[in-house]
Amino acid sequence: MFCIKKQARGISKIISTAYQHIFSCSTSLQNYKQVYTVGVMNPTTDFSRMWQTALIEIESAVSQANFSTWFKETSILKEADGTVYLGVPNSFTEEWLRKKFHNSILKILRQMNNNIRALDYVITKDEGRSMAKKIVAPAPTMTMPLQDFYINKDDNLNPKYTFDTFVIGPFNELANAAAKTVISNPGQVYNPLFLYGETGRGKTHLMQAVGNEIKKLYPNKKVFYMTSERFGNELFSALQEGKAQQFKDRFKKYDVLIIDDIQFFSGKEKFQEEFFHLFNLFKDTGRQLVFSSDKHPNIITGLEDRLRGRFNAGMVLDIPEPDHESRMVIVKAKCATHNITLPQEIVEHISDTIKDNIREIEGVINIIACQAQLKNKELSLNEVRNILKNNAKPKKLLSVKELVKIVCDFYNIDEDMIYNKTRRKEVVRPRQVVMYIMREDFNISFPSIGEKLGNRDHTTVIHSYNKMKVDLKSDPLLIQEINQLRSML
Amino acid sequence: MKAETKFFKLKSAVSITERAAGKHATLPVLSCVLIEFKKDALVLKSTNLDVGIEMEIPAKTTGTGSVAVPARTLSSFLSQSGDKDQPIVIEFVNNNLVVSLSKSKGTIKSVPHDDFPVIPEVSNGETRNIKSKALIEGFKAVWYSASVSSVKPELASIYVYKDGDFVVFVATDSFRLAEKRVPVSESQQGSIDLLVPFKNSIEIAKALESMDEVVTMKSSKNLISIESAGIKITSRIIDGVFPDYRQIIPKSPTTEAVVLKQDIVNTLKAATVFSDSFNKIKLTADPVKKILEITTKNSDVGENDAAIDAALSGEPIEISFNSKYITDCFQSIDSDSMSLEFSGKNKAMVIKPVSSNQTFMYLVMPMNR
Repeated sequence: MFCIKKQARGISKIISTAYQHIFSCSTSLQNYKQVYTVGVMNPTTDFSRMWQTALIEIESAVSQANFSTWFKETSILKEADGTVYLGVPNSFTEEWLRKKFHNSILKILRQMNNNIRALDYVITKDEGRSMAKKIVAPAPTMTMPLQDFYINKDDNLNPKYTFDTFVIGPFNELANAAAKTVISNPGQVYNPLFLYGETGRGKTHLMQAVGNEIKKLYPNKKVFYMTSERFGNELFSALQEGKAQQFKDRFKKYDVLIIDDIQFFSGKEKFQEEFFHLFNLFKDTGRQLVFSSDKHPNIITGLEDRLRGRFNAGMVLDIPEPDHESRMVIVKAKCATHNITLPQEIVEHISDTIKDNIREIEGVINIIACQAQLKNKELSLNEVRNILKNNAKPKKLLSVKELVKIVCDFYNIDEDMIYNKTRRKEVVRPRQVVMYIMREDFNISFPSIGEKLGNRDHTTVIHSYNKMKVDLKSDPLLIQEINQLRSML
Repeated sequence: MKAETKFFKLKSAVSITERAAGKHATLPVLSCVLIEFKKDALVLKSTNLDVGIEMEIPAKTTGTGSVAVPARTLSSFLSQSGDKDQPIVIEFVNNNLVVSLSKSKGTIKSVPHDDFPVIPEVSNGETRNIKSKALIEGFKAVWYSASVSSVKPELASIYVYKDGDFVVFVATDSFRLAEKRVPVSESQQGSIDLLVPFKNSIEIAKALESMDEVVTMKSSKNLISIESAGIKITSRIIDGVFPDYRQIIPKSPTTEAVVLKQDIVNTLKAATVFSDSFNKIKLTADPVKKILEITTKNSDVGENDAAIDAALSGEPIEISFNSKYITDCFQSIDSDSMSLEFSGKNKAMVIKPVSSNQTFMYLVMPMNR
């Protein structure tokens, strides 16, 4: 228990320090808040010292038998607004301390700290109470992969996904802020909350954290999480069995509905229709909806306009690629969960190599942790490089010619036109797209892009690149085109 | 204080409450039964701070008050046989509890009861009714599969939940898993979702054993009480989440064997004589040659080969298990024959009784070498 706690504290400390690092240039309020939390996070040790002192006094006042029965497994968990929360192992102890020792404990605590006004009890999970006699499994029998399935079947939420484990950086600050707003006022603002971004950016984590947090703060609100795929499957079998009404009624009891990967609805009209009615029911009765998708609702193909409009009416937020600093924080946080520390150069190398997918970072850290344990030593930068080479998504090699061919096929123009000097409108766009992709995805220098595409000046390329960047902000059709092209590469 | 009641009533109440009395309690009063003299009734209480049992029996009383006596002493004294309907009189005299039967009299030294803990009440919890037999049946069918380590309290518990017309009991230590579905005839409302520490579930089952009636379960986050006429059991429950085990149940077996339970019980008994320190047994199923074979080998003892008559289908397979994990589940299989389903080398084997109502299912993970 102690060791887990320490580790958890370690993580939050890393996150908080990294926070300061990220925000070191800005003097946002949040920054101060973080510094402040770091300040009060440590007193856990003060608590234990305080409680030790209190226990010495209590011990002298009660019999040894009484002391070891009632006080041995107690601790101070936290202190808030003058109330000290005492962790006790079970309801029996709570009842007894409350009845027999409440006033004396409070008195002793108040002698030490005058600000303490009240005392309350919290039953702590007794996991690891008997950690010492940890049994060794009868070795060779394999274990069931149960740990992956700690999912609450009432709401489908995975309790693992909370805000405590969610790394916040500039890239997902906005999404995080919106999520917090939703939590403080479910159903009232930002309804629906629509998060989109590529796979492995933490959409599911954030959504589930919203669910878990709402559950914690409003115990009588019923939260339900499901993927759109499951929604589809269940609706399908309900329709087959003629139980469509029961299926719909099931959702009526929920106050918060979280649906992941909305893009799977694309092209499925019947699902969309049922979903549309469900949506209206939730929206009209002021109940919160949270969705995610890999694309902006405007460019999900095969989505009915009325749904699209309704998505847009809420809050649509992008979770973009994490920035370098955030990636470093993520790497460190993931390391901390494995209880390993990596040298700075390795952390930098990992966050430099894996840019867009947090899940991949997680995978690589898992491998590093596993290998470090096997070899029983820290891995060198070279070894990590090898791991990354084998495990990171391979960057496909593509010649300029192939790229141009794909783009031209897509826009249905002649390949030669790209290299020619022509400025006809139907050619200019694809040419700019080629330049943009070369620069953005393959990091080729402006001059050499110009050289490869018919000896153009590098300023021309810079102009095209910047123009594309501006256009992309306002033209959803262009985003869609680029995304489709990227998937074809 | 003095009370008169029937011998067998006091005897059974003491033997039930004794179960919850602490065995190595740091506080002496925790190994006691607290006897409360009330108007027309005696209330017996005991607790080890994990489970608490309260029993009420009718009695003719004079005077009210409480007395605590060591549970073991009292129950051992009452274990003597005798006419079960004979009257028994207990009286508190000079810090002693005097127990008088028609032919014998015992004087038991009492323990100061000021320190006897309050058994907590479940406040504003949900209330549900269930037959005591259903509860006992469910607990007994699965408890041996729970984890004996308390590192993961969820796995050291029995997960009880309601699924349609069934109350489902599940326990696993991640090497094997047992699931028992007990039908609840009355279409009762309200869901059930509880994690009862398996040690407490044994106590609950034992305490309810002699009864056949509907009990009321009342539970809050950390506490459950099970109540019926004359008895109330209070137990700690785990505030946690049981893994969604249904996802690991293999869906489509590749090999299936149906065997007589008695055959496999006997064969395993002989085979384990030669198994190694990990209780390893090797199962070989060959549907083409129609053979199900159990092989064990221990370099210090010897080896054993035994064939079992079986109806086999699917692909041939060779797979090893810890025999203890298999034999454990036999107590929960009440049919003559049982089916073994394999889904491949590293997948769990599923054992089910072969009967019309398959309410029991057992999963065992294989050994990896």
